[in-house]
Amino acid sequence: MDRVVGIDLGTTNSLVAILEDGGPRVLPDPDTGARLLPSAVSFLPDGEVVVGERARHQLAAEHPLDTILSVKRFMGLGPEHVTAEDRRRYRFVEGASGVVRFLAGGRERTPPEVSAYVLRELRRWAERALGEPVSKAVVTVPAYFNDSQRQATKDAGRLAGLEILRLVNEPTAAALAYGLDQGAEGTVAVYDLGGGTFDISILKLRAGIFEVLATNGDTRLGGDDLDTRIADLLLAELTPQLAEHPQIRSQVLAMAERAKRALSDQSQTELELVTPDGKPIRRIIQREEFEERVRDLVERTARPCWQALKDAGVEPADIGEVVAVGGSTRVPLVRRTMEAIFGRVPLTSIDPDEVVALGAGIQAGILIGGRRDMLLLDVIPLSLGIETMGGVFTRLIDRNVTIPVSVKENFTTAVDNQTSVDVHVLQGERELASDNRSLARFSIPIEPQPAGVPRLDMTFLVDANGILSVTATDLRTGRERTVEVKPSYGLTDEQIEQMLEESFDHAEDDVQQRQLREARVDADTILHATRTSLEKHGQSLEPDEAACIDRAVTALAAARDGEDHLRIRECYDELSQATEPLARRIMDVALREAVEGRSLEEL
Amino acid sequence: MVRAQTRDRECWHCSARTGLALVCGQCEAPQPLAAGVDLFAVLGLRRRLVVDPDDLERRYHEASRAVHPDRHQTAGERDRTFSLAASAAVNRAYRTLRDPIARGRYWLELHGTPLGERNNEVPPALAELVFETQEQLADLRGASDPVAARRGVETTLSDLDARLRALVAELEARYAAWDAAGGETPDALAELKRRLSEIAYLNTLRDDVDETLDSLGSS
Repeated sequence: MDRVVGIDLGTTNSLVAILEDGGPRVLPDPDTGARLLPSAVSFLPDGEVVVGERARHQLAAEHPLDTILSVKRFMGLGPEHVTAEDRRRYRFVEGASGVVRFLAGGRERTPPEVSAYVLRELRRWAERALGEPVSKAVVTVPAYFNDSQRQATKDAGRLAGLEILRLVNEPTAAALAYGLDQGAEGTVAVYDLGGGTFDISILKLRAGIFEVLATNGDTRLGGDDLDTRIADLLLAELTPQLAEHPQIRSQVLAMAERAKRALSDQSQTELELVTPDGKPIRRIIQREEFEERVRDLVERTARPCWQALKDAGVEPADIGEVVAVGGSTRVPLVRRTMEAIFGRVPLTSIDPDEVVALGAGIQAGILIGGRRDMLLLDVIPLSLGIETMGGVFTRLIDRNVTIPVSVKENFTTAVDNQTSVDVHVLQGERELASDNRSLARFSIPIEPQPAGVPRLDMTFLVDANGILSVTATDLRTGRERTVEVKPSYGLTDEQIEQMLEESFDHAEDDVQQRQLREARVDADTILHATRTSLEKHGQSLEPDEAACIDRAVTALAAARDGEDHLRIRECYDELSQATEPLARRIMDVALREAVEGRSLEEL
Repeated sequence: MVRAQTRDRECWHCSARTGLALVCGQCEAPQPLAAGVDLFAVLGLRRRLVVDPDDLERRYHEASRAVHPDRHQTAGERDRTFSLAASAAVNRAYRTLRDPIARGRYWLELHGTPLGERNNEVPPALAELVFETQEQLADLRGASDPVAARRGVETTLSDLDARLRALVAELEARYAAWDAAGGETPDALAELKRRLSEIAYLNTLRDDVDETLDSLGSS
């Protein structure tokens, strides 16, 4: 069995972890050692795609419209769900139906395609750390994600060449990490305020079984919203033109995020922005002012908590532990709110930024049989049903029912000679179908007969990932078939296949681009080193040695500006040979100086 | 007759005899659900109206450890399909049997007299209570003193809760009696049906009151 990694695909940051004998471990960036990968993707005009730190901290300011900072907010959504604020930050393809499409780097990009870049980068980290190919993963999603959002996450995995064996709910994953850490028993509440989503889950832990009793949340509430409130303070001091300027907005948002962090430890902090005309604008923020600004947002987390407690049938006093997950739970106001709701101080012994990834790593271990003692029993977060006569939403599966769950429904026809039965599947808690989220529509052909005669059994099955599939059986013929479900806000299999084909076409280009960039970086390094050394020690060279180096430098500089990475490597090797006499001279001088008792620093 | 058939079942994978087991005792492969197996049998229980909650949970956890898809992730597609179906059945059995009301309704289904979806007739024993509650709700909506009216409805809500708890406790006492003698007789089934429809009616009323309080509370 191949190694299976656990991935926390977060709104702000993503991580990859693995379960080893000693426990779960985060796999860092092989180049920088960073443990968090900013979930930022920049699509540059020359076709280059940059993922992570540079995209977040440099390119987001230089190419704000082409840098997607929180793609997770758009997973599984349709164009009609895009808000005015979203439109200020990104360009969208207008008039498209079905799934949201960004216009970035001159091309249309769906959220799963953008997410796939983040997954691919994490896959690279894992492959470098483990020294073997990685093709399977457990990926976490907010507990409150609906079917479309889950499906979109699975699609992202497919596009990144990762088979997603299981989608695990983030709070459940966190509970798993704490459970392993502490061998806990009893009832636990997990409060997860992520970058873009809020989840609350109530779990019962008993003898290695992690049974989720209820979950609730808000998929449009997170730490990003706190940042936006701080940013608004500074933007209010700018002229309207500046405040609407994408680059300025992006800079101010990054600044606001840092200010939020600072205010967790300090009572005040300063925002400073230099406008394009060189004028500095400063704004001091006190912690109290910040708390006033975001109080309503933080208080919005209370209602889902009460609802989850009610659905779980437990009182706050029954809760043995409260676990804090997500970077924003470091904000003192959030901590106080958690304490007020549950009447106890939250557990924070595992880094709230890493705990979900560690749990995903553990679940990956469980799936390959590494932890036979532990088992997760999770629930479906939102009721699932169909549209019936008069636009009424008829529930088939209630929220908070343990998955896998299946329900069989009998269908017949309402009019004579009907040739198909049309089904509209939705998810949500409202009475009217139109108030809930449409998941899919499908149509099952039947032989024309008088009304009420055809009998069709339909089985709605929600698997352990919280994803729906439907099978229909014609009771007259006994023929069973899986229903092709056309997702309302998702990609079809054909669309994914097509994207995969396109990416294979581009794959060779991508590799070439990468090799070219790496060769250029190496060329720049050696050219710079050679020039510095020549300035200091050039006079000690024989004339033919100097001429040789000169020729090699010119050749490499020319190759560096070309497109052929092999040619750059060739010239690089030549230069490195040509500079050998120079290196020897430098060593000689160094030795002589040392012998004469002078320190190298004085050279 | 169905039972006799299913007892002779063999594992699809290794041909060992499996009986009604959810997974093969020899090779651990999940088995397709035997036809005609009821939710009690899924968790290895006899058909009884009284269920010990601790025993039920233990059985549920044990069955979940055996059949859950997480346990069969590395196996073939057939194993995974059966695991999914068996796991859904185990979850359904636990969900149904742990709650005395759901268990009673399932009992009626098993004996061919399901309670039916919506029963809009007010059970005679509850007529007075229902009338009072409706009146209170009407008062609350048009109240000149909303605080007092609200307090009144809150009292009604806790009265309803107490009444429901009492009804469920009575029901469970009847379960024990029926298990001792004749839970399947027409008289017992008729009484079970009457009691369950009272509870269902009261539950709906309770939720209405609760919702009204919620919607008023936020304004």
